[in-house]
Amino acid sequence: MLHAAAWFVWLTAALIAVSTTRNPLYLTLALAVFMTTVYVIRRPGETYAAPLAPGRFALYVIPLAAFINALLSRVGETILFAIPQTWPLIGGPITAEALVYGALNGLLLTALFTAFAALNLAVPIRDLIRFIPRAFYPVAIVASIAVTFAPATLRQMQQIREAQAIRGHRMRRLRDWLPLFMPLLTGGLERALQLAEAMASRGFASETAQIHTGRTQAVSIVGLLGILSGGLLTAWQQASWGVALIVGGSLTIATALWLTGRSVPHTTYRRTPWGYREWLVTGGALVAIAGFLSWGEATRAYNPYPILTWPAFDALAGTALLGFLLPALVVE
Amino acid sequence: MLRFLWAVRRLLRVLIYALTTAIGLLAFLYPVIVSGQAASTPLLLAFVVGLSFVALLLEVQGDAVNAKFIALLGILTAMNAALRFAEVAIPGPGGFSPIFFLIIVTGYVYGGRFGFLLGALTMLVSALITGGVGPWLPYQILTAGWVGLSSPLLHPLTRWLRAEGCWTEVALLASFGLGWGLLYGALLNLSSWAFIVGPGAPMPATFRETVRLYGAFYVTTSLVWDLARGLGNVALTLAFGAPTLRALRRFHKRFSFTYRLQGP
Amino acid sequence: MIRLEHVTYTYPDAARPALRDVSLSIPAGAFALVVGTSGAGKSTLLRCLNGLVPHFSGGTLTGRVAVDGLDPVALAPRGMSRAVGFVFQDPEAQFVMDRVEDEIAFALENAAIPPQEMHVRVAEALAQLHLTPLRQRKLETLSGGEKQRVAIASALALRPRVLALDEPTSQLDPQSAVELLDALVRLSKALGLTVVLAEHRLERILPFVDRIIYLPDDGAPVLTGPPRDVLPHVPLLPPLQALARTLGWSPLPLTLEEGRCFSTDLTNQADLLIPLKPVQSVEKKAPVLETHGLEVAYGSTTALRGVDVALYPREIVALLGRNGAGKTTLLKCLVGLLRPRRGEMLVEGRSIAKTDVADVCRQVGYLPQDPNALLFADTVLDELHITLHNHGIPVGDAPIAPEILLERLGLRDKIQQYPRDLSVGERQRVALGAIMVTQPRVLLLDEPTRGLDYRAKAQLLDLLRNWRAEGLAILLVTHDVELIAETADRVVVLDQGEIVAQGRPAEVLRASLTFTPQIAHLFPDRDWLTVEDALAGIRNATASTRA
Repeated sequence: MLHAAAWFVWLTAALIAVSTTRNPLYLTLALAVFMTTVYVIRRPGETYAAPLAPGRFALYVIPLAAFINALLSRVGETILFAIPQTWPLIGGPITAEALVYGALNGLLLTALFTAFAALNLAVPIRDLIRFIPRAFYPVAIVASIAVTFAPATLRQMQQIREAQAIRGHRMRRLRDWLPLFMPLLTGGLERALQLAEAMASRGFASETAQIHTGRTQAVSIVGLLGILSGGLLTAWQQASWGVALIVGGSLTIATALWLTGRSVPHTTYRRTPWGYREWLVTGGALVAIAGFLSWGEATRAYNPYPILTWPAFDALAGTALLGFLLPALVVE
Repeated sequence: MLRFLWAVRRLLRVLIYALTTAIGLLAFLYPVIVSGQAASTPLLLAFVVGLSFVALLLEVQGDAVNAKFIALLGILTAMNAALRFAEVAIPGPGGFSPIFFLIIVTGYVYGGRFGFLLGALTMLVSALITGGVGPWLPYQILTAGWVGLSSPLLHPLTRWLRAEGCWTEVALLASFGLGWGLLYGALLNLSSWAFIVGPGAPMPATFRETVRLYGAFYVTTSLVWDLARGLGNVALTLAFGAPTLRALRRFHKRFSFTYRLQGP
Repeated sequence: MIRLEHVTYTYPDAARPALRDVSLSIPAGAFALVVGTSGAGKSTLLRCLNGLVPHFSGGTLTGRVAVDGLDPVALAPRGMSRAVGFVFQDPEAQFVMDRVEDEIAFALENAAIPPQEMHVRVAEALAQLHLTPLRQRKLETLSGGEKQRVAIASALALRPRVLALDEPTSQLDPQSAVELLDALVRLSKALGLTVVLAEHRLERILPFVDRIIYLPDDGAPVLTGPPRDVLPHVPLLPPLQALARTLGWSPLPLTLEEGRCFSTDLTNQADLLIPLKPVQSVEKKAPVLETHGLEVAYGSTTALRGVDVALYPREIVALLGRNGAGKTTLLKCLVGLLRPRRGEMLVEGRSIAKTDVADVCRQVGYLPQDPNALLFADTVLDELHITLHNHGIPVGDAPIAPEILLERLGLRDKIQQYPRDLSVGERQRVALGAIMVTQPRVLLLDEPTRGLDYRAKAQLLDLLRNWRAEGLAILLVTHDVELIAETADRVVVLDQGEIVAQGRPAEVLRASLTFTPQIAHLFPDRDWLTVEDALAGIRNATASTRA
């Protein structure tokens, strides 16, 4: 099993690569790569599967996006048909360009979704939780408890349903869910108290401890101001300044996280080793994105407006995208 | 001196809430305000939303390193996430989602922090369990968090109407649920607007035109769903609100005090 | 090692103190047992040791507590976690993590122990409790006994010198309970721990204990000392000690071996006749509930096969069997929660195979293992009203007036209380009230005495006997042989889904090796199962020898 950090690098690179282009050929290639990865790493009977398979997602989203864009965007030279102007809101010509643009958006979304699905399948929930930065240690514990108790809650629900049935309870109206919900709630509250006792007995801080000091608050505020002003500037067309401010703000917030993390006394038990597989995956992802961004410089952008043309394709850039296949190759 | 420090901390906290709300709103409204966006804008926006959420989370979580708070939050998140799992598995009408009821009510009884964390973590944990992690997640988390964070705003209203403990309180919570049901959908739609509609959509010269366009988009795609969500919240609150409030208040005492050492 | 001086503690909003002027000391390395009825303060006393009282519960504490030289009140549970390990009653509500290893490491992570050291300690804790083969398992797949062992291991990971356990075996079946206690005893000797344990079922643990702390519930002072000194003052005792106390055996036997020395003496001295139990004329009435060839399957596994059972009015039938034998399945089937694959079920001659649970339960009452799942109303009286409402019976037309029923259940002064605030025994009786308010003809009980102390158990038995006299047919699923010895008229033994034995308790219990009451162990050739039997038998014999 790969270290979760390797997967995160892969995911970030994949997301960046895909979102810099609207070229349908590149997008389709990337999607194929991601889908192959998903297919290879999915083991039968896994409990943490995406609710929708990527294929079905594509089937819903691409036509939907195409349709919506066609309704909203009337630009383009190739008019397929026209809805009479008298119909409110949707009257006007439906152009092929708008359909294609919408479909491209849908394709982009599907690629993003599939990349995330690969991460979901590859990294078990516990490891994802472990990845939560130390500054958010309380949040990580809460997530851990929630994941532990969610199946127990479902079982408890079954028990309560039976217990209410044997005193004559029937499920007819919405109000009849109350005898199922209330014991669940009060039982949960009682159990939370017991759990808190058990945690406190094992050294978890039982009184409110301050890990978030005034200093970190101030740092956060500076960071947020940076982001806000950067955003406003970008909105007002000062993109370069805006992005710089946003980056600065992000780094400041990261500092606040780091400061908070340092004041949490806590060590980690489980360490997944970082081996050659992780290097391969990370290297492959970085090479893929570097190659794609540089070799595909000219051909990345694609605009179906004002008239549909066949997109350009650079073989080198396409090959670079194959770097994302590495996890599928190295998985056991 | 201590009071002064405490007041300063409180001011800083409000400032952080305000800034993150502003950033969040900006991110949500960006595609409406600005024309001609680059292809990578949606992802950048999601990143910014995620970042401001991180800052907000850091602030909200600050005082919460307390075993009772965490155990309670964990168990309630488990319950809410289980409800969401049921929602995904057995789709109700349109956007009906049973999770907002608990988020609103616990935020109302146990405070904005608790509500915020319950909302955000319900989304996060249920995404983890059902494998629904995706680029929409930061938006969902932030908005669900806002739902919980804003519940205590009802308190002045309840106090003014002297409605503690009677059905007026439940009615207030129900209408709050209706409002947020619609608002949640509207906000999330804004975020997906950026993903689906690209440049070439005629960005009209006036802001008003854009709003009209967005209104059209909203009505065609999600009004029905959001109505279902809002009305679902109302139904749940009216049916379960009173006993839930009683149960939560009963336990409030056992959960929220600190022991002060007796003098010698 | 542990010392309490004039400790008085009152819970917030409580009328009377939970602990009043308690002074005691426990030497290092001792194995101490805390004894007392529910509500006497056992849990409170244990929680004083690691600071949960008062830091977790609020209230006011006066007096001094010292554990291994540390002050729990000053240090709070966090500070005491390295000195005192605590194990709680409910195996389901103690765990934060997913896997055994991670759970044990949780305490170590909190203490910021360096990773290498952590690995060493985790391995050590696993080995001590024989959990090493289970180390990668998910906690939810473990049995109750295994979970409690994990709880002990997690408590021991920080290498405390004191281990406090609050009724660790009350949710377990007898086999797992015995295993857990054995492990605990062995461990405490090997590690030189000071163990303070609160338990209801004394018979399992008495042989290993070297100190008893008795908390009387009438506010009398706390008694501490070696077992033989304190036990004579404890009102409710296991059968062996109760018999020994009545017959004046001295020194008080703590184990069955010691008891047998006395009992064989007794049987050798006088030729004790087997007492003639008055044979009840068995009026063969029509059965209230009967099954013929019942077969229940879960998917592909058959849980019950060819089960023929009949329940007659005015009798208490006990259903015995190991875990997984199908006892709960049978009960659920009888009340309609499970549909049989084959076979007939008749209540008063009418088939209930197609009837809805909500209708069956008017005639067949069922008390599940966890009565908490039933309770959700604001007051005790409301719980009964809700059942009536469910069945569409107006309160005035109820077969028995709710207030009267609550009085019979001994809950008259708790009518307006919030049910979940009551003690375990009282909650169980509220649940019974909610079920019995429709006056069913049959009552099915699933492990009703789990977690009850002797007094609550006695109250429950009185209730059942009264109902039996009024004509109710009762089916009890239980592991508790003493309970069966005292109340059952008939015993049915289930094994792997089939009935393997049926008959009078005396016959069935003596024939089985695992299900034998203490008195039967003491007097192996007699028909005696309970203390009353033994006393009556001995008096008869003494009388006849004199005559």
